[in-house]
This record gives sequence, structure tokens and C-alpha cells, in this order.
Amino acid sequence: MSAAARKGHVQIKDVSVRFGSKGRMTEAASRVSLEVQPGEFVSIIGPSGCGKSTLLNIVAGFITPSEGEALLDGQPIGGPGADRGVVFQQYSLFPWMTVRKNVEFGLKMKGLGQNQREAAARSLLGMAGLLAFENHYPDQLSGGMKQRVGIVRALATSPQVMLMDEPFGALDSQTRTVMQEILTNMWQQLQLSVLFITHDIEEAIFLSEKVYVMTARPGRIKAEIPIPLPRPRTPEMTASPTFQALVRQLKALIREESLAAMGGELDNGGLQGIDHQFSHDGMKALI
Amino acid sequence: MSQAAPSSRPSPRPPPLFEDAAHASAVPAPVGLARLEDTLRPVPVDAPSAPRGVWAAGLRQQLPGLLMGAASLCSMLLFWHLATTYRWDFYIRFTNIPTPWEVAQKMVEVNHSHKFITNVGMSLRRIFIGFALATVIGVALGLAIGRYKLARGLLFPAMEALRPIPAIAWVPISIMLWPDNEVSIVFITFIGAFFPILLNTISGVQAVDDVLLRASQCLGARERQIMWYVVLPGAAPQIFTGLAVGMGVAWVSLIAAEMISGQFGIGYFTWEAYSLISYPEIVLGMITIGILGLMCSGLIRFVGKALMPWLAYGARAGSMR
Repeated sequence: MSAAARKGHVQIKDVSVRFGSKGRMTEAASRVSLEVQPGEFVSIIGPSGCGKSTLLNIVAGFITPSEGEALLDGQPIGGPGADRGVVFQQYSLFPWMTVRKNVEFGLKMKGLGQNQREAAARSLLGMAGLLAFENHYPDQLSGGMKQRVGIVRALATSPQVMLMDEPFGALDSQTRTVMQEILTNMWQQLQLSVLFITHDIEEAIFLSEKVYVMTARPGRIKAEIPIPLPRPRTPEMTASPTFQALVRQLKALIREESLAAMGGELDNGGLQGIDHQFSHDGMKALI
Repeated sequence: MSQAAPSSRPSPRPPPLFEDAAHASAVPAPVGLARLEDTLRPVPVDAPSAPRGVWAAGLRQQLPGLLMGAASLCSMLLFWHLATTYRWDFYIRFTNIPTPWEVAQKMVEVNHSHKFITNVGMSLRRIFIGFALATVIGVALGLAIGRYKLARGLLFPAMEALRPIPAIAWVPISIMLWPDNEVSIVFITFIGAFFPILLNTISGVQAVDDVLLRASQCLGARERQIMWYVVLPGAAPQIFTGLAVGMGVAWVSLIAAEMISGQFGIGYFTWEAYSLISYPEIVLGMITIGILGLMCSGLIRFVGKALMPWLAYGARAGSMR
């Protein structure tokens, strides 16, 4: 299969997003361009409030850019749809449906009959090791399991793109590591395009082919870092020199932005001012 | 929830994949997701069940409460008995109040009377018609007002203007509005139930988590499907709260309407007993009203639990909000 024929090509071209009315306008994203090739795993990383979720919401179809355009396979994105599977940071399973009914939901919306839906949902749940829980309600599951069901539900409609907005943000670190492994294996099997939002540097490197680093608000793309680690990715790789070098590089980039995001008081006389005055007084005392 | 329950009962399903890590990893799974079976354990949460022994333990736990409840009721009866038998009269007068025994005799007596049964039947019919109308209209309007700005802008101010008027205050207008007495009583009952149902539905709709709405859109749901599969079940717990409150207010309104303008009905029966100086029947009417009200709200709770099984597990487990 040639890359050109495959689907799931996401392009964001010169996109700016502004919220609010004239007087109190905030710019969430400013002239952002990025691209997810068909079958590519791309992460966006940046300080909180930099507008990374805004970009994902544009691709999901929840937000229309104020300027620029967002394309899926060359077509402008109009609104939300089942061709893009979304996994949210908050648990988003319908509490009133059992695990299987949650997974069936997208197929039901497509108009599939009960038998087909059930068979499809059961095979997906079986692959995810969740079949034993098909008749459980979401509130009976742990956080990691809920998020797995969420991923399975998003996959059920066979989307070309998966959009994941800090999907493991609410999980404890052990569960999180396991989920990352599951996701990277799954991605290799399914060859989906993935746009993944995170603020976790190791997570972004471990999962991705390419990481975009965003600046503090208004978010711009500060750097585009290719991740040359081989596949399949294994947890042992996180100890490799390449991985560690990437972590250091990204940490340095993010640190600058986090400091900037914490506001003017840090660079405009905040810490420096205190520091300055302190050393001054200290000097006086010494003299 | 009992920790021992899962192991003591035979599993209705084949052994869960998670428990069987060695077996699972020996079979190459088609998708890498299966790997997590090695690492993730299921949470030992099981459906609430009633294995033997739990009942006995539950009874033992609740015994003090049951005893206190019995003592509370008995002392009320005893007070009633003493006050009426000895015709206590100290500013508050028990001279004309029937004794418990007289009321109990009356209760047996009216069981054979066609009149009493008819009255109860009439009241129940009015409640059910008025309440059913209030449920249908209240929930439908509540869904629309809760979800659509246009409906909210056009309907809500009018609803808010009418809401503070108690149902009983509608009695004279209702008699003028409707062609016959029966319809006007049903209307009063409807008004009583309508506003609690409407308001709870609105706030239930507005409380539906936005992420669920977005998730359903991403899965291809259209507006009508979102309404039916997401908004309605999402608001359901609060709708049922509205139904329970509405049922209470419906009874209050019904009894008042029957007393004022009625022919037939348990409220009319009670008031008529007063006019005819048939005092035991007054108390019998009161008790009947209480029991009917209790049965109706019990019915709503029962239906709510049957329709919303997922609430048994949530953070709000055990309550219907």
C-alpha cells in the first residue's frame, strides 16, 4: 500500500484561534502549521494552557479556526464525525451503558444491526482483554480499564485518525506505562494516524514518530523533533542514550516555555528582581 | 459490598482472560492490546448480590434501627390512645378525636363499602392522569429548555412567572377554565406535579457532562440520537428526583382540590366525614391518603431503580441523587 493512497492525512495550515469578544480577546494558537502523515504517530507537547488541546479540538471538529485551515485527506474539517476517533482525558464512557454497549455505540449510530454490533464489539473487547467485563458498567472498572474501553470504543468505527487528548493523564504512573505499551503495540498493528496530546516528555518520545513542541500562550510551534527510535518500542529503550538525549533536548525546550508560561513576574523582575535585591542587600551586609 | 462474594459463587462466564496470564500470552493475540492481560488485574467489583448469610448479617445490623422505629410508632399510637380515651383537654382538645380502636373498626367496615373503594379509585385515577400528563409534558419541555437556547429564551420566562403560584391557587380559575369538575381536578394535580418535574429535568439536562456529548458526536451521533441516547439517560437520575417530588406535590394538590371542589375522591371523603360528623372516617381518610402517597412514591423509586441499574455502582451509589 503506497503512502499516498492511504487515508488519515491531517494537515493544519497557518491556523490561529482566538476566543472571546473584541475587548478581551485571547489567542489560544497563533499561526500553527503541522502535519500527521497517514499512519504516523505524532505528539504535541507544551506547557499547560499553550493551546495543544485547542489544536486537537480543531481536528476533532469542535472548534473552527479563526484563521487558516484544517484538512483531513485534503478536505476541510467541517464538524465532529466518526472518521476521527477521539479519546478524552476525562473518562467519557456513558455511565448508563455497559462496556459492550459503549463499544457498540458508534456502530449503532452507523445503523448496524444488533447482531453485527454485538459481534464486532465482542471481538474488539476480546483483543483488548476486556471481554470478561462486557456486561459491567463503567463505574465498576478501574481508571486504566475505563480508558482502554474508551480507546476500544473510538476504534470500533474504524476511524482513519485517532485523536488522543492526554488520555493517560488521570492514571497512576504504573498503569500509565502499561497503557503506553499497549498503545504503541496497537498502533503498530492498526497503522492508524494518531495525534497525541501530552505534557509528559517521556510519553511523547516513547510513542511518537515526531514530536511538536509548542510555546506558551499564544501557542506556536517552537520545534519539530523527529524521533529516530526503532520499532517496536520496548520499555528498555527508555534507558538508551538516544532516548535520554531526546529527553534532555525536549526538557530544555519545554523548560523555557514553562518559565514563560508562568508569566511576566518571572522574567520581568520577578525572580530576578528578588535575586538582584537579595544579592545587593547581601553585599551591603557584607561590606 | 462483600469481598467474599465473587469466590463463593460460581462464575456465570468462562474464566476471565485476566486471571489466566500464562494461557493468554501463549496464544498470539491479533492485536497488541492483549498484552496488557499480563499486567493488569481486574478490580474485584461484582454486581451487588444477596448470598446467604448477608441477609442475616444485614438484619443483625439493622435490628437496633428497626426496634427504635417500632418503639417510635408504638409510642405515637399509645399517646393517641391515651389522649382520646381519656379525652384530654388542655388548650389542645382531644375530646372529639376518635380513638385508634374506633378508626380500626371503621377500617374493617369500609372495606365492605362500595363508596370508600370508589373514592380511592377516583383519587388514584386523577393522580395517574394528572401525573402522567405532567411527566410527559414536563420532561419534554425540560429537555427542550435544557438543551436549546431558543426554547429556553421563549419558554422559560413564562414558566418562571407561573411557577411560584401554588397549585391550590389555581382552583377557581381551573373551575372556570375546564368544562367539568373532573377535568379541573386533574388539571390541579397536573399543575402540582408539573413544575418540580420540569425544573429537575432542565437542571438534569444542563448537568450532563459535556465530554459525553462530545464523545457521542465523535462517534457519529446526530442531534436526535444525542437527545435520546445521551441527554435523556444522563438527565434521568434528576428527572426521577423531579418525579418523586412531583408526586408528593400532586397528592397535596389533589387532596386540596377534592376538598374544595370535589365530588368523590379520598380528599372529598375526608372532608365529607367532617361535615357529617363521622369522626373516625376523618382519621381513616388521613391514613389512607398517607398510605396511597407512600405507595406512589415507592412505585417511582422502584421504577427508577429498574430503569437505571448503573446507579448502583457510581459515586452516588445507594442514592438516586
